[in-house]
Amino acid sequence: MATETDQATAEISSFQTDTTTRESVLLWVDDHLKWLMTLPAVFILFALTFYPLVRAIQMSTQQFLPTGTTFVGVQNYVDLMSNDAFLNSLAVTGKFIGIAVGVEFLLGFGIALLLNKKIKLRGLWQTLILIPMILSPTVIGLIWRLLYAPNGLLDYIAAPLTGGANVGWISETSVALYSVILTDIWQWTPLVVLVLFAGLQSVPDDVREAAIMDGASVRQRFLHITLPYLKSLIVLVLIIRLVDALRVFAKVFILTRGGPASATNVISMQMYRTAFRFNNFGEASAMAVSLLVLVLILAMSFVKIANVEFGS
Amino acid sequence: MTTKQDTQADVLPYEEPSGIEQFQETLREYGVTRAVTYGLLGVFLVWTLFPVYWLVTATLKTRQTLLSFPPQWIPLDAQFGNFAQLFAQRPDFVQFIINSTVVTITTTILATTIGAMAAYAFVTFDYPYNLDFHLPFYILSTRFMPPIVTIIPLFVIFRGVGLVNSLQGLILVYTMFNIPFAVWMMKGFFEEVPDSLIESAMIDGHTHLGAFFKIVLPLVKPGLIASAIFTTIITWNELLFAVILALNANAMTVPVGLASFVTKFSVQWINMSVGATIALVPVLLFAFIARQQLVRGFSMGAVGK
Repeated sequence: MATETDQATAEISSFQTDTTTRESVLLWVDDHLKWLMTLPAVFILFALTFYPLVRAIQMSTQQFLPTGTTFVGVQNYVDLMSNDAFLNSLAVTGKFIGIAVGVEFLLGFGIALLLNKKIKLRGLWQTLILIPMILSPTVIGLIWRLLYAPNGLLDYIAAPLTGGANVGWISETSVALYSVILTDIWQWTPLVVLVLFAGLQSVPDDVREAAIMDGASVRQRFLHITLPYLKSLIVLVLIIRLVDALRVFAKVFILTRGGPASATNVISMQMYRTAFRFNNFGEASAMAVSLLVLVLILAMSFVKIANVEFGS
Repeated sequence: MTTKQDTQADVLPYEEPSGIEQFQETLREYGVTRAVTYGLLGVFLVWTLFPVYWLVTATLKTRQTLLSFPPQWIPLDAQFGNFAQLFAQRPDFVQFIINSTVVTITTTILATTIGAMAAYAFVTFDYPYNLDFHLPFYILSTRFMPPIVTIIPLFVIFRGVGLVNSLQGLILVYTMFNIPFAVWMMKGFFEEVPDSLIESAMIDGHTHLGAFFKIVLPLVKPGLIASAIFTTIITWNELLFAVILALNANAMTVPVGLASFVTKFSVQWINMSVGATIALVPVLLFAFIARQQLVRGFSMGAVGK
């Protein structure tokens, strides 16, 4: 192979001496194209994802002192087990994910079903509900900060129920987490709507019509025709939302900074505080690795589904 | 025994229309179902759009009318001076916009180019060990990694090599962050380019790399535009990496600047609203251009095209 190239280069160079280097470089590039084209992507992902991961595992076995680091083995992990703030953040995250993703899915599914009827201006409607998905979580946090403000719009709307007293949407310990959840529902329900609507549209008309001809009831058609067509998209949208909800940060950072007390202290907020407020990089890394294990399980199930359902 | 089960599975039992279904039929006849459908979809639309309207109109209000009881639904005495006031009180906001713009444009070019090249290679070439099949999945799986997991070691690494508080550091991280999207968006587009086109281009004297840039890339322009817009939106919006890696005004981006308007103790309401509106306008414009592709991007290529 190499000799062939060399011969070709030699032949060319005997005719056009001034383009020799250029030609041979181009030939070399074409010969190695399949590696050269993937190299930048693989290198960047390796250097900025896999290497930091290895470092995270290494750092999770260290204690960071102003004088340097010392190896402490699994001590950071052991400490996590009795770290109330960390355990609380797991519970808060679990509650956040459970309620937010659950409501987004049910509400989104319902609206997708409504949208699947003959609706005028459907395209425009779909475009408009995209808006919350593309906004910066920072901007969304600020929007809802404004709505949740004392004497703000939501206090005005709730006034008939509260008798005019401010609810304290993000300052009351028992309410704050639900307010953060509501913000997430506002942002992500449209995604569920649009994905599941696309799934509903993929149910072939003739299958649906044949079922109607055969006298299948609405319930039967939903269970035996619509649901099987939607199954993979339902799983997909649930996993996307689950993984995204697991790493919610910006909304909480802007709305509550994890407070009041630690009512909205989700896991990324807890890690941020541990590492960058208390400079406890070792314990924060141990949290990161634990979180990663959780996400890996979810991601692997996604890859498996993606392989089965969408793989080539 | 088995035959009986098979029959049961194949043929659905006939169900008498229930009372509810008959009632539904009556409602349908009188157009009630239709009205309710439009009503519910309308309510959802208002619920989705109103908060954005509330932010944008807040930029035209005063501190007093912004949180007045009852609320001022439409800004009557429009305060256009609010925009000038933001830049007068926070001159550093101009720097944030410049930083965000530089980081976003550079990241978009890098991530789209690198992602497109990798996607093309995976679609076109055969790799040993079935890597052309496995590598894209590994690349995609990094998209699932919570950024907070890598940010702690990245901060330590970047501090060591002097990349904290630099735009270069942010660009590197955001490029990494967006490559999986770009690869997966572009893969679908390259799959539709026929191999014969590249072959004939190479017979015409193009190198393979030349054929990629001159023949293939123009064909997948819609895909390139879609991934570029997607990368632009994600990069322009990002807060977590920026809040950790950009600590001083030289490298702070718009989201970090916005976050500084809101502290535990006080909120600069008007400045905050104006800044947030400035941050959302470019995103809305780009999203409108790529609206067909957005759902595809958000669902990781599973839906729409």
